[in-house]
Amino acid sequence: MPARTRVVDEHEVSAEIVATVFHGVRVSDAMAILVVEPVDGVLRVSWGNEKAVGLLGLALEDLRALAFHVLLPSLSPAELKLLLRRERAVSMALPVRCASGAVVDCAVTAVPSAAGRRWSVRLRSTANETERALRATADASERRFSTLTERSPVPTLLSEQGMRLAHVNDAFCTLVGAQAEQLLGTGWMTTVHPEDLDGVIEQAVAVLDGGEGEARARLVHDDGGVRTTVIRFSHLFTPGVGAGFVATIEDVTDRLAFEARLAHQANHDPLTGLPNRTLLADHVIDHFTPGGGGRLACIFLDLDDFKVVNDSLGHAAGDELLVEVARRLRATVRPGDLVARFGGDEFVVVAEDVDEDDAVALAERIGAALRDPMTLGGVDVRPTASVGVTVQTAEHVAAEELIRDCDIAMYQAKAGGKGRITVLDQHARAEARDKLRLVADLRDAIERREIRCVYQPIFSTADGQPVAVETLARWEHPERGPISPVTFVPLAEETGLVSGLGLLVLDETCRQLAEWDAQLGEAAPGRANVNVSALQLDAHLTGHVQSALERHGLRPHRLSIELTESALMKDPASAREVLQQLRALGVQVSIDDFGTGYSSLAYLRHLPLDCLKVDRSFVAELADGHPEITSAIIALAGSLGLCTVAEGVETLEQAEELTRLGATYLQGFSLAEPLSAADATTWFAEAGATG
Amino acid sequence: MTSLATPTLAVAPVFDLERVLASIDTMAAQRPVAAQIVSIANSDDASAGELSRILASDVALAGRVMKLANSAFYGMRGRVTSLQFAVTVIGFATVRTMATVALTDLDDESRLPEDFWETSTSLALAASTLAPRFAERPQDALCLGLLAQMGVALLHHNDPDGYGELWTAERSFDGRRAAEVQRYGISALRLTSVALEQWGFPIGMLVPLKQVGDLSSFSGALLRSAFEVAARLVDRHHEELPIERVSCGQLRERDLAPVLEQVRTDAAELRQALLG
Repeated sequence: MPARTRVVDEHEVSAEIVATVFHGVRVSDAMAILVVEPVDGVLRVSWGNEKAVGLLGLALEDLRALAFHVLLPSLSPAELKLLLRRERAVSMALPVRCASGAVVDCAVTAVPSAAGRRWSVRLRSTANETERALRATADASERRFSTLTERSPVPTLLSEQGMRLAHVNDAFCTLVGAQAEQLLGTGWMTTVHPEDLDGVIEQAVAVLDGGEGEARARLVHDDGGVRTTVIRFSHLFTPGVGAGFVATIEDVTDRLAFEARLAHQANHDPLTGLPNRTLLADHVIDHFTPGGGGRLACIFLDLDDFKVVNDSLGHAAGDELLVEVARRLRATVRPGDLVARFGGDEFVVVAEDVDEDDAVALAERIGAALRDPMTLGGVDVRPTASVGVTVQTAEHVAAEELIRDCDIAMYQAKAGGKGRITVLDQHARAEARDKLRLVADLRDAIERREIRCVYQPIFSTADGQPVAVETLARWEHPERGPISPVTFVPLAEETGLVSGLGLLVLDETCRQLAEWDAQLGEAAPGRANVNVSALQLDAHLTGHVQSALERHGLRPHRLSIELTESALMKDPASAREVLQQLRALGVQVSIDDFGTGYSSLAYLRHLPLDCLKVDRSFVAELADGHPEITSAIIALAGSLGLCTVAEGVETLEQAEELTRLGATYLQGFSLAEPLSAADATTWFAEAGATG
Repeated sequence: MTSLATPTLAVAPVFDLERVLASIDTMAAQRPVAAQIVSIANSDDASAGELSRILASDVALAGRVMKLANSAFYGMRGRVTSLQFAVTVIGFATVRTMATVALTDLDDESRLPEDFWETSTSLALAASTLAPRFAERPQDALCLGLLAQMGVALLHHNDPDGYGELWTAERSFDGRRAAEVQRYGISALRLTSVALEQWGFPIGMLVPLKQVGDLSSFSGALLRSAFEVAARLVDRHHEELPIERVSCGQLRERDLAPVLEQVRTDAAELRQALLG
């Protein structure tokens, strides 16, 4: 080694420094260093440090005897020129042969001397234990991943960059009926339904940027079959490579089909297969454009005499009729029109882009189609329907108004006779809307207990004393003022509110009776008569009456239930059962407005009754010198062992006449008007004091 | 097929290899941005953000990266709108490959042998398509295929007339490699590996280049097979070699039909995206 050497920066260094550096290199255990130079035309190792001797397993003498290329088996002697460059340092990854014959992977760096005739060659083993362990771990991890995805029944895609697949498992190949080679790269994208591909790319793009995402996409099998799938993407980042994704595919075709079946069942009538009321509402909402732009029409049909078919030929025949009607409707309407079963024997047809004339023409075609004869249970029938037609106008602000108007039109048609078609006019619509608002107000009034009870005293003809009251419901509308029971009771019956109304009156009457007992003692009315609607005459009535009595601590004989004769004659057998329950409870039962309906006297005899109320119209005839009917009713009641209450007593003469005819009780304006609870309290207190 | 002898430096080459090797050193200085990308893209802590930031200073290269990312080859359908996302989509290795192409003037077709890029893109796509059969990553194989012939370009740059003649006279893989060794003392593919090694490319890319001529080497089999596929597509007069031998038994003739079809379809697109 020369005592002085030139370094890159041209600075002179002392011999001591050179010696110090050389000693450090010689004994270094961090780096194996050889010096290579040409000797007799052959490149040889002229020196090596202790680390090189240890790495190669060759003593310095042995090293010097070797041609350099022997240490580098992967380089031919001539290729040494690529490593040993005169003008620059070169690094290569090369296997290095040791004395044992073993080969060690090394990073080999050759640095030429300033003169370019010698090279220092550094050998750094790249196959240390840590690296080997890391590589083995990485390889094992990759193998596990491959095995897992390969054997997994879940179709899986693996992209390393963009949409290009690097791996696809057997499950995906099976799903789309293709070989892996056809799917790798961007080939898999051809299996995505063209209409869904954008959505898939959209999600993949978002996931490549980080995070997760999913897309629903149809995959097209090689045989043309289509499967609906959910593709779930997860971001994948490989250091030194870039971003890709892992995607797993769930085939949801069967699940969707099942859900579709369920949805169909939920939205369709099982008997006729027609859309039901829910789907009808959705359809009208979807096609309704506020302002009448949609030219939407609804045709509401209610089969005439369906009940007769059911009752006379049986429910199977009724069902058969409904199915046939559905078939005829479907066959008659235009493509795109909706036919729905609204419920029971009611059907609705919704047609788009029609005016009133078109809608009526369609309704007529439907009517004609329905009238074709059909045989049910061996009987030829010609079905007819009452048909209401409504065409959307600017006044319709919501979809449900259209169906409701249609319903009104149908009722108008029904009222006009069978087989009619009615188009809803403005007046009827306004009336119906007014009625609807009133129904809503009535519902609120019942809920808020704003229906007031008044009490009209009933007198005994025996001693002229007040012995009972009839409870009468009163409704003071906040805007319209007092609404007559003649208006709101039928309204409650039509709209299903009568049960609530009836329970309210029953409860309030019992409460008031209990209060009078507390306030008036002996002077309190002995009994209260409560009117019950025909619609309340069911198995629950007795239970309601009993709980009202118990709630207010009253004995049953304090209550009399008044029913109209038409309510009793609707279903005499069940009416008789309810009446018997009430009688068994100890509650009295009266027939209200007797003589105005159609009573079967034969039934009357078998009904468990206490009292007949003579209608005010017959009482009024007394003034005209016609006591015949009143007299007959009182006599009939007497012969059946029933008492009588004469209603609408207007004059003292009438009262005297009725007493003479044998009426048990009297009720009327001339005797006492209906009183508020407070006034009735005072009235009975005074009557008790004077009685 | 005859066994390919490992190309070695000829005893007395007629051309000074030192000049070619020296040119590798000077390239980086001429295209500093590309050189910087080549040097950092391989590190494990490289990020798309950092790469795209550097890439943005080389407008031409950045434009090509964007174009490639939006090409049909990556299936992104024009959704790549930022350079950073483009780097993410095509991957760091491809960005480095494109930087290498720019660094070595491979994008100047006027200075390259005829059908150089037709061969290179076919080679890259064939390698990428066949990679899974050799347990290699398609993306790495694509880059290897794109750069494999870089040595050809280097030799041609330094000896345009001489190499042009050699390229035309020798059409087969073996013939060209032998002629290169005879004239320059080194085969073009070996020269590619030298240059890539010098620029810090991973060893996984170098081994196939070194062993592509050794029929018994599995490490060289993928690249060897890709050369065979490319030759069948590009050279009408190519004498087909039995693919089973070329691929160390990994491929059979019947496997090649779909590969040939796919490569033929994508090659023009890839070339267009790479070269603009």
